[in-house]
Formats: sequence, C-alpha cells, structure tokens
Amino acid sequence: MSEVFAEAVGVSRRFTTEPDLAERIAVKLGARDTRRVVHALDGVNLAIRRGEVVGLVGESGCGKSTLGRIIAGMLPPSEGTVRFRGKDRARLRGQEARQARLDTQIIFQDPMSSLNPRKRVVDIIGEAPVAHGLIPRKDKAALVAGLLEKVGLDPSMRDRFPHQFSGGQRQRIGIARALAVNPEFLVCDESIAALDISIQAQVINLFMQLRQDLDLTYLFISHDLSVVHHIADRVVIMYLGRVVESGPTEAIFAAPNHPYTAALLEEVPRIDRRHRSFQPVKGEIPSPINPPSGCHFHPRCPFAMDRCRVERPALIAVGGGQESACHLNDLAERPRFTQTDNREKTA
Amino acid sequence: MLDLRELQTHFFTPAGVVKAVDGVSLTVNRGEIVGLVGESGSGKSITGFSIIGLVDPPGRNVGGQILFNGEDLLGAPERRLRQLRGNRIAMIFQDPMMTLNPVLSIRTHMVETVLAHEKVGRAEALRRSVEALEMVGIPDAARRIESYPHEFSGGMRQRVAIAIALLHRPDLIIADEPTTALDVTIQAQILAQVQKLCRELGMGLIWISHDLGVVAGLADRVAVMYAGKIVEQGPVDEVLDHPRHPYTQGLVNSAPLANERGKPLRQIRGAAPPPLQRPQGCAFRTRCDHATDRCLQEPPESEGVHRWRCFHPRNMEGRA
Ligand SMILES: Nc1ncnc2c1ncn2[C@@H]1O[C@H](COP(=O)(O)OP(=O)(O)OP(=O)(O)O)[C@@H](O)[C@H]1O
Ligand SMILES: Nc1ncnc2c1ncn2[C@@H]1O[C@H](COP(=O)(O)OP(=O)(O)O)[C@@H](O)[C@H]1O
Ligand code: SF4
Ligand code: SF4
Ligand SMILES: [Mg+2]
Ligand SMILES: [Mg+2]
Repeated sequence: MSEVFAEAVGVSRRFTTEPDLAERIAVKLGARDTRRVVHALDGVNLAIRRGEVVGLVGESGCGKSTLGRIIAGMLPPSEGTVRFRGKDRARLRGQEARQARLDTQIIFQDPMSSLNPRKRVVDIIGEAPVAHGLIPRKDKAALVAGLLEKVGLDPSMRDRFPHQFSGGQRQRIGIARALAVNPEFLVCDESIAALDISIQAQVINLFMQLRQDLDLTYLFISHDLSVVHHIADRVVIMYLGRVVESGPTEAIFAAPNHPYTAALLEEVPRIDRRHRSFQPVKGEIPSPINPPSGCHFHPRCPFAMDRCRVERPALIAVGGGQESACHLNDLAERPRFTQTDNREKTA
Repeated sequence: MLDLRELQTHFFTPAGVVKAVDGVSLTVNRGEIVGLVGESGSGKSITGFSIIGLVDPPGRNVGGQILFNGEDLLGAPERRLRQLRGNRIAMIFQDPMMTLNPVLSIRTHMVETVLAHEKVGRAEALRRSVEALEMVGIPDAARRIESYPHEFSGGMRQRVAIAIALLHRPDLIIADEPTTALDVTIQAQILAQVQKLCRELGMGLIWISHDLGVVAGLADRVAVMYAGKIVEQGPVDEVLDHPRHPYTQGLVNSAPLANERGKPLRQIRGAAPPPLQRPQGCAFRTRCDHATDRCLQEPPESEGVHRWRCFHPRNMEGRA
C-alpha cells in the first residue's frame, strides 16, 4: 500500500452559533445568553493514501464539508492534528506551508458562486500560477489554453466571463482553476450535485480521467452513494460529526456493518429498483447542537440496546479492512440486516 | 382524470419567445403516480404551473387543452379556477416556504385553508388539520400544530406543505421536486407517505424530478421531457428497461450503477441548448449520435401506451 498522504487524527471542531438579532435584544433585556455550541466534528480519524479516492458520505450537517476544509488546511481543528505528507499541518511554515496549500485544492458545489463574475476565464484560471511564480506571465495564455482543453472546453472561450457558460462548463472552469497550480490532492465537496443529470456523468468521467493522467489523490464528498460507489476506492460514512463506518467500497456496499450504513444503502434511489414499498428509518436527523447520548444513531436505530444510550461505540476493525462503530459487534451473535430487494417485477 | 393535449406555454421575453412548454400531451388517472423527469429548463415546472393556472406574464398559454375530469381548464373563468386550485388540484413546491408564511403558525395556515374553501366550523377545521398532519407522519400533531415554520426541520416543513395540499383530499397533486433538497433517509420517509396516500385515497400524482432513480422507485408511469416536449413516456418498466428515444437511453446508460465500477460512464455529449437557441426539428439533434437529415423535421409522437418522438428509435441493444 502507498504511504498515507493526508490524515486527520482525533479531529474535533466546535462552532459557536452567533445569536440572531432577536436573541441579542432578548439578552440585552436580561434573558439568558442563547449562544450555542455546535459539535460539527467529534474525534474523527481519517487517512487518505497517495493515489487513493476516498468517498465521504453522510446526511446534511454531519460534518463532511467541515472535515474536508480541515484536511485541506482551510480551517483549523479545535482539537486533534492534521498531517500532510506525514507532517503536522499546523507547524508548517514558509515555503513548506505555501507548497502544502497549493498542493491541496478544493472544488465546491456551486460553480457560479466560486468564480469571480467580473473576471475573464483566462484570469480566473491563470492568475494563481502567475502570482505564485509557477510560470512567467507571458506563458499564462498558453497554460490556460492547455488547461481548458484538458477539462474539455474550447480554448477559444478563454476571454469569456463566467455567466456566459452553462453550469457544467462553469464547473469545468472551477476544475481547471484548481489544476492550474499543479495540485496533488483534490477535495471535491459535492462538486457534481448542482449539475444536470446528463452533465454529471461527463464531470465524473473528467475526474476519473484526471486521476489517471495526473496521479491525483481525492477526497470525494458526496451524498450520492451511487456516484461514490462508482469512483471511490474507500468509503467513509459519517453521522452527526462522527465516523460510523469505513472500508473498501465493494466490501461496504456488499455487507454494511453499521445499521446506519445499511439504512442509507437501502434508501439510495436507483433506476433498477421499481415500484418500491418504502420502509424508511424512522425519525428526524437530530441537531448537532444537542446530539443524542451514547451512540448518536440510537433514537433511530432498529437494533438499539440499553448500552447504546449511554456508551459511545468505538470505531474498531471488523475484518476485511472495514471499521465500524457499533455495539452490535460485541454480541456473540449479531442480528442480520434484511436487505429488501424491491424488484417486484412479476409480469 | 387529467388529460393534457398539446399544451403550449410560451414566455414572450424581450430577447425572444421562450417555448417553455411546447406541445405536451400527458394523462393522469385516479390513484396513478406519473413521474415527470428532465434536466433543468426542460419545462417540468412550467407544465405544473400551467395545469394549476399559475403562469405569470410574460408567460401565457398559447395552445392545447387541459381537460380535468372532462372540463377544459384553459377556457374556465378565473373564479372556477380558484375554486379548483387548492381544492381539487394542489401543488407542492421544492421549497416548502413557497407555501408557508414564516409569521403564521401551522395552525393558522391550515385552519384558514380549510375555511377558505369549505363551510365548516373552526373546531371541525382544526380537527381536519390535525388529521392531515398525522397522515403525513408528524408525531404529536395536536400539539405541534401550534408551532411556527422555523421551529420545524426542512423535512418536517415539507411534510406540513404536503399536509396542507391534502386538506381537501384533492383529486390531483402536482409535486415539483419536493424532496430534492432533503436527505436520503428523510426523502424515503416522504416518498413512503406519499405513495401510501395515493393508494389509499385514490389521488393522482405528478411527481416532478430530475432524479430517474426516485421516479423509478415511486411512479407507475414516467414521462421524459427535453426542451419543452415529452420525448418519451410509458410504464416505468417499459421506459427504463427498453428506452426507445436516444435521450432516455443516454440517461439510463449514464447512471453509475448501469456501468462497470471505475470505468468511464457512457455519457451524453454536449449540453442542453439554451431555450432561445434550440435547433430546429428534433431539439436533441445536436447531441444525438443517430441524427440524420430527417431529424431536421419535427419528429411526431408515436402511438400506444409507450410512445416517443424520434425518427430512429432504438431497440434494447441501442440499435435502430
Ligand atoms: N461557521 C459555522 N458556524 C456555525 N456552525 C457551523 C459553521 N460551519 C458549519 N457549522 C455546523 O457544523 C455542522 C457540520 O457542518 P458541515 O458544513 O460540515 O456539514 P456537511 O456534512 O457538509 O453538510 P451538507 O451535506 O449540508 O453540506 C452543521 O451543523 C453546521 O450547521
Ligand atoms: N418567467 C419566465 N420568463 C422567461 N422564461 C421563463 C420564465 N419561467 C421559465 N422560463 C423558461 O422556461 C423554460 C422551462 O422552465 P421550467 O419549467 O422552470 O424548467 P424545469 O422545471 O424543467 O427546470 C426554461 O427555459 C426557463 O428559462
Ligand atoms: S451502537 Fe447501538 S444504536 Fe448505535 S448503531 Fe449500533 S446497535 Fe444501533
Ligand atoms: S429524431 Fe433524430 S435527432 Fe432526434 S432523437 Fe431521434 S434520431 Fe436523434
Ligand atoms: Mg457540505
Ligand atoms: Mg423546475
């Protein structure tokens, strides 16, 4: 196996929510301060090896983007360490720190809001490599033309503005901008979620092609399990700020260990599942401001036991490269998940 | 119950005429769920707005018929439309706050909705509101009806919007991507409720989505829209297992699960043309691998329960 490239060790991140205007007035008038602490990440370990594609999945607010930004060095953790090529990211200085920043690029969900609307494509893509002294200014146009071609856009489009492109084309511009500084590691945060169905496949193909051509390492954040299944070597599943399961993609999809993973897999919309009788997990996704005790999933888990309400399950190896955080693994005989295949295709 | 015939809704903008809906024919029967899929801008929402009579200027209906239980809504007076809207036909939007006013309690929303359409007392209106909330799976509905929209999560708000749509037991509900912004487990909860309600109450449902997977699991029939037209429609299994239109086939083939893991996905090339630059003839022509000179003409819709608009329909193996 290749060496660990980027790693989060025991990373926690807390945010303090700012009170809104009504709350601030209430506090002035003597009400209790309502500022609350959100536990966005709670003791997360995650290692990404060189050349690997790690898929990070989980429902809204579970901390995926926060973890992505922390691993990319854009946000400091409240606790824990982020290592980049074996070194503590927080201790890097000068040239080394700058290089680590260039080596990691994030590609966001909304291509429009991450591109400056008043700049031409040639400047959006070509500015950073010139500013960082990677190329002389006179080579900018040529570099941009090459990058546009690489992401499947016509180089003659380089003098246009972002609004003159479709959503899919704008996402390609965002990718070209990220590639301009020769990164080794891409953090893709829902990078295809905002694209049209027929365009998603094109951009997924582009990511896979770039991986081959440029030896890239990816942290691929997505709520779309079928996309993650397609491109990731390994999957990490989060729930309310914690990793609940991780392992090789095929192993997890074939035999999920954690009840939450099983529930997610059960609910992925797939075109080969017809006329379903939905039997969804019950309950709301709890707030990270006041997460349930013990195992965060216990109020929704069909297998919850007394122990689950009080004790946080540790993430432990469960064989086949899989890790899972569930007390069921301590039972002599664990219950089986019923995989309902709803293809009631009786003619 | 609903019978759209060659519906045309156009927007007369300074830059030109946007043919948002351009000859849509579609039927919905009692208790039936029809999935309407297509990419953004293909005309799904405007089809829904047209049915419920909510198209704003510069948009206007320019042709076709909307037969609802035999009555043509396009000729109907405004008063009659208002009566039908929210009573016999209801719409649910992607953003539940389109339906909900942040300063009103859920109770006010619901009770006033009942009273606006029916001559019943407040107590009866409240009883029905609580019942509708229970139907969509809101726990402790009698107490929670006193809440305001911001006190609910996104999934709960969407349930409330659905409960409001259900208040008068409409014959038809048009749901415009109501679960797109929700998480998978919450989406599944809502799909389960909606499916159950259609079966139990015999409501017809048009479920608008850009997600073929959701429609596959939920719908009885599916209609695929492209550039203002339904290019293929029929029973879900027929259309998804034996797509005949190259666009439908491209969508089905590009789904990750229809491809070998890690291999390039079979993709549709190009992007949907902007509405004012649609190619003449078949609008899919510029992206289609099978286009011929014939496709410079407008392909007519074929006959039958499974039908398509294409001069060179594919068979299962993708051949003509
Ligand atoms: N700057 C911030 N201030 C306060 N709370 C924050 C901040 N950033 C994130 N959070 C909270 O931290 C939690 C995790 O957020 P994060 O953006 O990482 O979620 P996510 O998994 O990426 O969700 P999504 O799928 O919706 O993008 C959420 O509860 C979020 O509201
Ligand atoms: N108010 C409007 N003025 C001009 N064009 C509009 C207006 N509303 C919608 N359109 C156009 O009509 C077409 C169909 O829109 P819509 O039905 O919202 O698409 P969908 O729901 O399939 O994403 C699009 O090209 C859109 O830009
Ligand atoms: S630890 Fe308990 S509650 Fe948590 S997933 Fe396992 S069985 Fe369910
Ligand atoms: S009519 Fe012609 S261009 Fe249109 S989908 Fe059929 S083959 Fe392709
Ligand atoms: Mg996020
Ligand atoms: Mg729409």
